[in-house]
Amino acid sequence: MSDFTFPFFFNYPPYFTLQPVKETRQKQIELWTELILRYCRHQKEFIVSTDPADDSPLFFNRSIERRLNREARVVFLNELVSRGNAQWLDKSQQQCLVLWKKLGEWADVLYSTIRQFGLQDSVMTLDELSSGDDVKDTELEGAPKALLTEVIRLLEAQGKAQMFSGDGDVGVKFF
Amino acid sequence: MRRRPGIQGLQRTVQARDQYKELGRNVAETKLEQMRAQMASFKEHLEDFALKHRDDIRKDPVFRAQFHTMCANIGVDPLASNKGVWAQVLGFGDFYYELGVQIVEACLATRSLNGGLMDMQSLMRYVARRRGSKADPVTEDDVLRAIDKLQVLGGGFGVVRVGDRRLVRSVPGELNTDKNQALLLAQGRGYISKRQLTEAYNWEEPRVVETLWSLLKEGIAMVDDQGPGGQRLYWFPCLESSGNVQADMPG
Repeated sequence: MSDFTFPFFFNYPPYFTLQPVKETRQKQIELWTELILRYCRHQKEFIVSTDPADDSPLFFNRSIERRLNREARVVFLNELVSRGNAQWLDKSQQQCLVLWKKLGEWADVLYSTIRQFGLQDSVMTLDELSSGDDVKDTELEGAPKALLTEVIRLLEAQGKAQMFSGDGDVGVKFF
Repeated sequence: MRRRPGIQGLQRTVQARDQYKELGRNVAETKLEQMRAQMASFKEHLEDFALKHRDDIRKDPVFRAQFHTMCANIGVDPLASNKGVWAQVLGFGDFYYELGVQIVEACLATRSLNGGLMDMQSLMRYVARRRGSKADPVTEDDVLRAIDKLQVLGGGFGVVRVGDRRLVRSVPGELNTDKNQALLLAQGRGYISKRQLTEAYNWEEPRVVETLWSLLKEGIAMVDDQGPGGQRLYWFPCLESSGNVQADMPG
């Protein structure tokens, strides 16, 4: 994987403090949301944390010793949520699913992968969908269960899949 | 015995005066004629000169600046009109028009990041990159001239001096003395704290607060709460000429 190039503002300290003036903050939000999506897509990261102790290189620039606090992370991620590019995984907003592809696009990816490998009518577990041999080197590899569950719910609504739970695991059948 | 003024004497005086007047008119006319001829030949020579060195003037920024100085000394403004002989001879109008457009573009593209104040060096880098490597080189002198011409459009274009640094302003409004002082203090480091500002100029607290808040509101300053000791720092993107804050702008 090629190295990720951080944008210019990542090296400028004030961008790590939520700006009090509305216009400036708006620009700051715009820059950060773009960075979060681009970074997660590049690194294939699906979940980011709002815990300020989390030292993800996305929110912490060691060389200038600046990090985003929880409030700033929540503000930026909420903006992504409102655009359909993220989803909170818990009510307390600790973990956030970053959707560099929107759910609808993931649904297309998942469904076409299933068809490509002729896996309709067979029952698969979520584990198999994120780390099984079939999805190796596809975009689905490494997808967290939280994402898969959301995507399959969408496919269920379209009548293209059915989820079963049993034995503490979840199985899916595609049509 | 003293002669009294007679009628003849008076007539003679009037005659003489008329003759002098006539002579004076003749001299003035000749002079004017000469001046006209001189001016015509001078203009011709200047045009010849400009035409002869046309390539040098267009390609060599130093020579161009010297040409401008010479023109200014004799009260000719080669940029005054896009239609005049100068524009036709030199194609100057296009050069500065194009440069002006590039300057406006650079300022607009970075305005939301720097509050409409852009460092001259950053601006020149932006313009140079925008023009590409094949274009004729541009100097600060050219940029200043182009900005001068932009002022007629309104829109608040102008140049602000902060210490030995030049900042290009693209939003209307004055940078008052207090704000200018604050920027001056921030030169070099790129930021200041409330305390530094208070101590440097011996200002009362409200004056410091007002100045900083005003700079924030205008988008010229940004806050940073993670400085050493946790004190709030005020950063000025327009002072980041060496850094990448402006230079790496998506063009």
